[in-house]
Amino acid sequence: MSLDEPARGNPELRVVVADDHPIWRDAVERDLAAAGLVVVGVAGDGEKAVRVCRATAPDVLVCDLQMPGLTGVEVTRAVAGSTKVLVLSASGEQADVLEAVKAGATGYLVKSASAAELVDAVRRTAAGDAVFTPGLAGLVLGEYRRTAADDAAPKLTPRETEVLRLVAKGLTARQVAERLVLSHRTVENHVQNTLSKLALHNRAQLVRYAVERGLAD
Amino acid sequence: MRLDTALWRAIAVYRVAALLYAAGSMAVYTDTYARPGLGWAVLAGMAVWTALAAFLYADPRRRGWPLLLTDLALTAAAVLSSRAVLTAERIAEGDPTVSVSWAAAPVIAWAVHRGWVGGASAAVVIGAAAVVERGDPGQATVNSVVLLLLVGTVVGYVVTLARRAERAYAAAVQLQAAAAERERLSRSVHDGVLQALALVSRRSTDPELAGLAAEQEGALRRLVAGPAVAVPVGEADLRPLLPSGADLHLAAPATPVLLPAATARELAAATAAAVDNARKHGGGSAWLLVEDEPDAVTVTVRDDGPGIAPGRLAQAAADGRLGVAQSIRGRVQDLGGTVEVVSAPGQGTEVELRVPR
Repeated sequence: MSLDEPARGNPELRVVVADDHPIWRDAVERDLAAAGLVVVGVAGDGEKAVRVCRATAPDVLVCDLQMPGLTGVEVTRAVAGSTKVLVLSASGEQADVLEAVKAGATGYLVKSASAAELVDAVRRTAAGDAVFTPGLAGLVLGEYRRTAADDAAPKLTPRETEVLRLVAKGLTARQVAERLVLSHRTVENHVQNTLSKLALHNRAQLVRYAVERGLAD
Repeated sequence: MRLDTALWRAIAVYRVAALLYAAGSMAVYTDTYARPGLGWAVLAGMAVWTALAAFLYADPRRRGWPLLLTDLALTAAAVLSSRAVLTAERIAEGDPTVSVSWAAAPVIAWAVHRGWVGGASAAVVIGAAAVVERGDPGQATVNSVVLLLLVGTVVGYVVTLARRAERAYAAAVQLQAAAAERERLSRSVHDGVLQALALVSRRSTDPELAGLAAEQEGALRRLVAGPAVAVPVGEADLRPLLPSGADLHLAAPATPVLLPAATARELAAATAAAVDNARKHGGGSAWLLVEDEPDAVTVTVRDDGPGIAPGRLAQAAADGRLGVAQSIRGRVQDLGGTVEVVSAPGQGTEVELRVPR
């Protein structure tokens, strides 16, 4: 259910898989390895996920949201600066998905996605594209609307709103580009901007919070 | 109820203590009595009723009008008996009655059983008996009647409050237990069944089985997640009311989309009709977008069918393809909303339901 057709990328992509369920983790690892990606580390809890990412510096961290120790959101916050994060979540965890995006995750895939969709999503995340599902577009749109009255919160441009609405209605990037008479790349950029604005605002808020509490200089 | 047991036990203790006080009072005044023998007989009767009342009130099934009325009548009789026990001069001087503060017991009992109205009523009866006993309502009698009224009203009121608090506490404890149980259940379901279902839906080569597993996973997850956010009375979150399914992709805000409960139900029903329509005319999948704006809630249903070329909407309507859309329009218009059908060739058909707040 990713936004677009498979992206061609570096076949030597290095990936870390973090999930507290061994059967699931093994399945994901096998799928990635079968597609020629290199799984350089796995983790069964949040702390280990952060440690493994710092030690192996992977291209992409595939991260479950619900983990013992640090949650997927906290792990994302810890590693998003240096590693691209693809969040895997089950349905019904919308609030957590949104938090992960605000913490810096650039991709989101439901756990029921197929092996091919997963491999494609990892490749696209590594390439710097936002892996966007209609569900995520709905969440992001909702978040911007929720904070619309707050002057300090980031705002969507009319074009970004238009793009997000079409993505949320299940149109592919190509279809969105066609409908709005834009280039494919421009659509991708709009989508990515909506995510990075949220993450940036979230980071600024955290820093302001820390400074107010005297936790930072 | 634990509170009631404690209250009735307290009344029994009060009766015993008041009985001891009455005995002491009688020992002091017995020399001045016109009929000391009758006085001690009344006290013996009071002792018997004290024991009997403690036994009878202990069982909640016996705490009814017969017992309450008997209690009140016997106590009023004990108060009135003073007229025969004491000399007329001593009564006029304001000597204590035979029953003294023991007479307050039924007032408290009525207050505990019937609330402040019951307490006040019993106080009026006992107070009237005290006035009759004295012959004229002197200063001291008026004082004790007012005190009795206060006791009956205040005890009755406080007991009602305490019961309400006990009920609220019990409800809170139950809620907490339910939440803890849900938490336990959700942990175990999350670690087991949900993972297995997700895996089945992902690895199965049978699309029907995969779809079924995904659908069940979603349903089970919603079940164990439970109502996460409190919804104001009279309002409802639109999201859980909407149709779901493996072929239906939902895009909605992470926070509840609140509407008046009836409006939410109607909009959800209209959406379900639109989804059925999309399933019939689309290519197998449908998308649902819920948008929560300050002035309106918008639900868009899109199918992945061939779509309708511009200028052919009228033709489509004539073919009956938009028939369902017309009935959806009626429903949404009843809510003061609007329905818009948008279609682009090759991009499916969108039905946009917009309901103002």
